[in-house]
Amino acid sequence: MNVFDRRYEMMPRAELEQLQLERLQALLARLKRHVRRYREKVAGLRVESLADLSRLPFTTPEEMAEGFPYGMFACPMREIIRLHTTIGPGGKPLVIGHTRNDLTQWGRLVARQLVASGVTANDVIQMCFGGGVYGAAGYLFGAQVVEASVIAEEPSHVDYQVAMLQNYQPTVLITTPTIALDIMQVIEQRRLDPQSLHLRTVLLSRPVSKETREQLAAGLFARVQCNFGLGEILDPGLCLECEAGCFHVHEDHFLAEVHESELVLTTLCREALPLLRYRTRVRCEMSRGKCACGRSGAMIVPGQRLDGRLCVKESPLYESQIADVLARTKAAGQPFTVNVSDGRLVVSIEISNDLFADTVWVVEGLKREIESDFLARLDVVAEVRFVNPRAKAMTQSDAENTYKRNITTG
Amino acid sequence: MLLQVKNLSAGYGNLEVVRGVSLHVCRGEIVGLLGANGAGKTSLLKSLVGLLPPRQGDIFVDGRPTRGQPAWRSISNSTVLVPEGKMIFGDMTVHENLLIGGYHNPDRLMQLEIVLDRFPRLRERISQLGGTLSGGEQQMLALGRALMCRPRLLLLDEPSLGLAPLLVKEVFNEIRKMRDLGVTVLLVEQNVTATLQVADRAYVMETGEIILEGEASELMHNPEVKRAYLGSTGKEVWE
Repeated sequence: MNVFDRRYEMMPRAELEQLQLERLQALLARLKRHVRRYREKVAGLRVESLADLSRLPFTTPEEMAEGFPYGMFACPMREIIRLHTTIGPGGKPLVIGHTRNDLTQWGRLVARQLVASGVTANDVIQMCFGGGVYGAAGYLFGAQVVEASVIAEEPSHVDYQVAMLQNYQPTVLITTPTIALDIMQVIEQRRLDPQSLHLRTVLLSRPVSKETREQLAAGLFARVQCNFGLGEILDPGLCLECEAGCFHVHEDHFLAEVHESELVLTTLCREALPLLRYRTRVRCEMSRGKCACGRSGAMIVPGQRLDGRLCVKESPLYESQIADVLARTKAAGQPFTVNVSDGRLVVSIEISNDLFADTVWVVEGLKREIESDFLARLDVVAEVRFVNPRAKAMTQSDAENTYKRNITTG
Repeated sequence: MLLQVKNLSAGYGNLEVVRGVSLHVCRGEIVGLLGANGAGKTSLLKSLVGLLPPRQGDIFVDGRPTRGQPAWRSISNSTVLVPEGKMIFGDMTVHENLLIGGYHNPDRLMQLEIVLDRFPRLRERISQLGGTLSGGEQQMLALGRALMCRPRLLLLDEPSLGLAPLLVKEVFNEIRKMRDLGVTVLLVEQNVTATLQVADRAYVMETGEIILEGEASELMHNPEVKRAYLGSTGKEVWE
């Protein structure tokens, strides 16, 4: 069994709870001192034991969005050396700051996942995220800690990614499920032998269904492991998937609770952007039983999003963002439904008398205009369909079911 | 865990100077407790050995609760406090000072040899009065006296206070060597750099609360430590 940080990953529960209490008390003291928003919320509150956690107020994604850009930071900007962004409620941007220590810790937390996946200093890692260096940043820090070789090249086209797999002979592929499936498809189409590649492990950036995992394991002839993270907290680095297939939260760094089926996280060590009882808007089940791997961190089973966030080709997307794009076109104010299918966004807009024309090219022109707006504003390839209001293609509940299917299976 | 403190509060009169502090020290560790003047470090140490009765919270030494025990009983728990300002007996010889430290230890004469081997300077001055020793030697004597009862947990309160820089180095070298003797150390200090160089982990205290905990190497360059000392608030993003 491969364990990077045995002391913390396998810490006995009593010792872990003592450490969590110490870190929670210190966190509360820092929040009172440095973050105005928290000072008002937690003034006079004291934590005497971990059971008192439930008395502390929540932090919502909406509050984070209100604090945009630096309102929730707990240290001056001169101490922050990295700014990452993610998307919050309604597509509003959220800024995540990191101090030097935060980045060091991030690397060590990701190293735990890499080591659990069997990565060593002898490995060569190919990373494909399709979004430049930012998606891969955490993995890069982790790989540096493990001292594995990272190929600092990320071609956007899947053909080149396959060529890299053949030329550089990487032993580990870290990528998104969508890209992994694309690569597998190309390998199959070209009738390449996946055994001729040197891949040993494929690490996916988010959980996939058992079927997809088996499909990828067979198609790439490698062990497939998944990760789970949240942009606002840490992605990757929030938890690790062990050899037994359980997601263990790094409980020495994050205090995890489940409130009304929602995962709630408290960052215990983060310096730049500490969060107290952050409501992640992710459905989750959690248990603290014994795992075969021996790790003591709480085991979670992440589920669907609770805020209706869609996932189109690994990019998060809110319905309000789609409405915003439509509001700038001639279709503004028209009712619409959204469907995500096979990684494609299909927007069905109810046609009205204003939009209707007796020549096809007028409607086609509008369709193309809206589609190019989606690409330009959201970087999403969308297919726009005009539908008759009396015969809507699908009901809202059907649409929701479609999201769920796509979010879980990618 | 050799020492486990949960939510400890203590104070004088109406003033609460230690406010819900939790910390732990594992066997064989050297743990630093840093903070500016008046942060509550010394009061916390006094609470741990029973010199200042805690108002709230729990203290466990080797899993056994010790809160509420009189100070003299802490010796039988193998917990020894080396107080701030050495507090040696100036009118007694080095030899007598050491023997008093081993008062509870039936093997004190054997332990005396071990201590004198550890601190050869004390052997040279064995018949000299404690008050005539230099500041550094007095600190060595205080350390030696504490070792006479073979402690498992040593609580050191500002051992570098009032010492010349060269002597500070010497004292910290001796603290580092405590690990070889199997002694666990909780080191209260204001000298951040020297403490973080010898410690495995450290806590930072400010106005009675712990505001930071971490590995010594991580805290070495942590601006929060500087803020805790200089009183800067860090409230403004663009300060």
